[in-house]
Amino acid sequence: MSTSSFDLVVIGSGPGGEVGAIKAAQMGLKVALVEKAEHLGGTCLNWGCIPTKALLHSAKLWDKLKTIEEQGIEIGQPKFHWNKILERKDKIVDAQRKGLRFLMKKNKIEVFEGHGRLTGKTGVSITAKDGKITQIESKAVLLATGSRVKELPFAKSNGKNVLNSDHILSIDHVPKSLAVIGGGVVGTEFASLFARMGSEVTIIELLPQILPSEDGECVKEMERNLKKQGITLDTGTKLKAIADDGKQVKVSCEGKDDRFFDKVLLSIGREPVTEDIGLDKVGLTSEKGGFLKVDEHYRTAVPNIFAIGDIIPTPALAHTASAEAYHAVEVIAGHNPPLINYSANPNAIYTYPEIASIGLTEEKCKEQKLEYLVAKFPFAPMPKAKIEDATVGFIKIIYEPKYRELLGVHIIGASATEMISEFALGKVLETTVDEIGHTIHPHPTLSETIAEAAHVALGGAIHM
Amino acid sequence: MKEEKQRSFKMSNVTEVLMPLMGEGVHEATLTNWLVKEGAKIEKDSPLLELSTDKVDTEIPAPASGYLVKIICTVGTTVKVGQVLAQIASSPDATVSAPSAGDAQSSAAKVPATEVPSVTLNATAGSQGQSESDESPLRSSPLVRKIAKDKGIDLGQVSGSGMHGRITKKDILDFAENPTAAAAPSAPAKSEMPAVPTQSQAQLSTTKVGGEELLEGVAVRREPMTRMRQLIADHMVESVRVSPHVTTVFEMDLHKIWEIREKYKDSFYKNEGFKLTLTHFFIHAAVQAIKLHPIVNTSVDGYDILWKKDINVGCAVALDNGLIVPVIKKAGDLNLLGIARRMNDLIVRARSKKLKAEDVQGGTFTITNPGGWGSITSNPIINQPQVAILGIGAAVKRPSVVNDMIAIRPMMMMSLTFDHRAIDGEGGAKYLASLKEIIENYQDLPV
Repeated sequence: MSTSSFDLVVIGSGPGGEVGAIKAAQMGLKVALVEKAEHLGGTCLNWGCIPTKALLHSAKLWDKLKTIEEQGIEIGQPKFHWNKILERKDKIVDAQRKGLRFLMKKNKIEVFEGHGRLTGKTGVSITAKDGKITQIESKAVLLATGSRVKELPFAKSNGKNVLNSDHILSIDHVPKSLAVIGGGVVGTEFASLFARMGSEVTIIELLPQILPSEDGECVKEMERNLKKQGITLDTGTKLKAIADDGKQVKVSCEGKDDRFFDKVLLSIGREPVTEDIGLDKVGLTSEKGGFLKVDEHYRTAVPNIFAIGDIIPTPALAHTASAEAYHAVEVIAGHNPPLINYSANPNAIYTYPEIASIGLTEEKCKEQKLEYLVAKFPFAPMPKAKIEDATVGFIKIIYEPKYRELLGVHIIGASATEMISEFALGKVLETTVDEIGHTIHPHPTLSETIAEAAHVALGGAIHM
Repeated sequence: MKEEKQRSFKMSNVTEVLMPLMGEGVHEATLTNWLVKEGAKIEKDSPLLELSTDKVDTEIPAPASGYLVKIICTVGTTVKVGQVLAQIASSPDATVSAPSAGDAQSSAAKVPATEVPSVTLNATAGSQGQSESDESPLRSSPLVRKIAKDKGIDLGQVSGSGMHGRITKKDILDFAENPTAAAAPSAPAKSEMPAVPTQSQAQLSTTKVGGEELLEGVAVRREPMTRMRQLIADHMVESVRVSPHVTTVFEMDLHKIWEIREKYKDSFYKNEGFKLTLTHFFIHAAVQAIKLHPIVNTSVDGYDILWKKDINVGCAVALDNGLIVPVIKKAGDLNLLGIARRMNDLIVRARSKKLKAEDVQGGTFTITNPGGWGSITSNPIINQPQVAILGIGAAVKRPSVVNDMIAIRPMMMMSLTFDHRAIDGEGGAKYLASLKEIIENYQDLPV
C-alpha cells in the first residue's frame, strides 16, 4: 500500500470531474483523478450526451434524405446500415476518450483507475478491479460521482428486450416497435431517434404532458411534431407491469388494453451515486433522493470536501456540472469566483425540432404570481428558415414589464440548442429584452429570429 | 505619420514592468513612488519604483534597460500581482498603447497561477491609466442602469459583487433596501477558506459646516491612512476579536548582562561593525525560554493547537509611518552572535526599505521593545496567528534589595501578553520566570 499526497483529489471523471481536475491543475494544484469505469468521461461521454447526439445526428441526416428530391437532388434509393451508424458513434466516443487521456497527461493529472472512497477528511482509497488498494492523501476532495439510470421496482430492465438508456445505445438493430416508458428528455430523444429510423414508437408518460419541466407552448409544438413523425403519445397513463417473454414485451397500463412491443426503453430518470463512496467516514450523509447538501460554493458540511453535478440537487446536466466544478476548484485554489446564476443555465433537448431554454417557463411565472409579458416570433416567415427547410417552431421571450428583464426564453426549432447561448449570455449580463432587440443580427440567419422576437417586445415585429 | 509611428513601435523592443510575486499570500500592493521619470533612460536592475504591501515596503528594479516610455499605474494605485505597471522600450520615441484589460489578464497568467488574483476593477482602471484619480469605471448592466434611473440611485454609491466589481441586480436591490450596509466595502468579500477576514473599521458621522468638517463640534482635517496603516488597523482589530489577551509582568535584574555587554562592547563593535545591545540578549534569552515552554510558540486552529517546529522570532521595528516585524528564522539554532548579526541585517534593510517579502513572514513569536522610548511596561497586541508577544520595558537603574541590602541595579519590566485560549496564567508566568532566570544568570557571552 503506497501513499501519495495531493492538493486535490477528484472522484469521478465525467464532465464535472474532468473540468474540475483540469482547471485545478491549470491553477497550479497537484491533482489526482479517480475513475471506476473503464474509460474516462463519465455518463456524458460514454452513455449520454455524446453517443446519443452522434446517433441523433445520423437520424437527422436520414430524415433529410427522405425529402431530398424536393431539393432537386436525386440519389436513388437511400439506405442506412445501423451497424455503421453505431461504429461512427463509437469512433467519436473513442476519439473523445483519447482526447481526455491526453488532457490529463498534458495537465499532469495523476489518474487512478478504481473505486474511490473517502477514508477520512483528507484520505481517499482507490480499489482497483484486481482488488489492489491504493491510499492517497489530499488537502481537498471534489466529489463528482454522477448518477446512474433509475429503475422501477416493479419493472426492471434486463438488457434483452427491456432496456435502459445504457443498453439501447448498443442495440444491434432498429426495433420494429418500441415503447418508451417516461417522456422526459432522455425518453423523448430516443423516441425521436428511433421513430425517424423507422420504429413504431409509443411514449408512455405518467404526467399529462411529455417534457414536464419545459414551457407548455413549446411542449405542445413538440407533441404536434412528434405525432407528425408517427410517434404515439400516451400521456397521463400509469404503467402497471411489463413482461418480457423473450420475443416481445407485454406492456400493461392502468385502464388500457395490454400492448406488445419488440423492445421497451425504461427512461424514468436518473439517481445520484452517493453510496459506497465513504461518506460515513467523514460524517456526511446524503439527503432525500441520495443528494448531498452543499453551500453556494459547493462545499459540503466538511469544509475541504466539495460536491458537484448530479449528486447535488441542481439541474443534472453536463454543462451545469462543468460550471459547478470550475467554480468549486476556483474556491479551493483561494479565488472568489462569482456565484453560478442558475436562471441562466441552459436546457437543451436534441429531438427534431430541438428545444432549448433558460429561466422560467410561463407556467412557473404564473405559479410564482410574477408579472410578465411574452414576445414570441415563429421561424416560418424568415428566409433562412425556408432556405434550410427549418420553418418549424418559434422563439418565446418572457420578460418582466417594468425593467424588461429576461425571465425565461424558450426556443423550439431546428437549431434551438445553438441559439440559446445568446440568451444565456444575455441573462448573465443582465440584459433586458430591449438590448436584444437593438442588437444587429446577421441576415439571413435563423438567429435573426431572436431580434424579431425582441422587436415584438419593442412594439412590433418587422416581418410579420 | 501614423504608419511611421506604428513601425517604430514594432521595431523597438517593449518590456512590460509587471507587479512581481512578492511572496506567499501577497496579492496586492500600493504603488508608493516612481524613482524614474517617464521618458527617462534606465539600466536593467536599477531601482525603478517602490511598492508597499501589508508586509513590506520594497524597491522594484527595472526588468530591462531602455527608456521608461510609459507609466501606467500612478502613485497611490493599488496594484495586483501580474499587473502591468509601466513599459520600458529600447528606443525613447516608441509609441506604446496602454494594454487593454485582456492584456493585463494575459500578463497575469505568466505568474504561477495559484498566486494570480482575478483582475479586478481597480486593476483594469490602473492598467488603462486614464484617470488621475482612483475612480474606476463603473461596471453594471442594462437592467441595473434601468433600475438606477427609476429609483434615482447614483451607481457610484453601490458596490459591485459581480465579476470585476460589476454591479448586479442583487447589488442595486440590496442598496435600494439598505443604502448604508450595501455601500461600504470597496473590495468584494473574499471567500472564507484561504483568506484572512479583514475587519472594516468603524465609521464616524461628521458634519460639514462652511467647508469645514466637524466631529462632535470640533473641526477636523481628514487624511486617508496609508496602506500600511490601514492594514495595521485591520490586523489589530482582528487580533483583539480572535484572541482573549492576558498580560503578566515580571521585573528583571539586568546587571549581569549589563556587565557582559560592557566587557565585550568595544571588541564586538570592532569585529562586527555594529553595536552589541541588550536587545540581542533579550532575544537570545526569549528563544531559550521558548525551548523550555514551547506552548508560547504555537497557533490555535479551531480546537487544535499547532506546535511550531521552528522558533522564528519577529522583532517589531518602528518606521516613519508605521511598523514592520522582520523575522529571525530558526532562532533556536543560533547563538547570541548569530542572533545579533541577523537582527542587525534585518534592521538595516527595514530602514532602507530593502526587506524581501520572506523576511517578514513565518514568525512564530514576537518581541516588541517600547522600552527604547522609556516605556516601563506595555500591553501589546498579539501578532496573529501567534499566541504570545513579549514586551520589553525600559532598563532603569533602581534601588533594589540584594542580600537584604539596598543596591543600585539596572532593572527592567518584561511583559508577556498571551492568548488565553492556548495559555493559562500559570503558563505565562512560568515562561517569564524562566526568562528571568536566564537573563539574571548569564555568566559570559553565550556561544
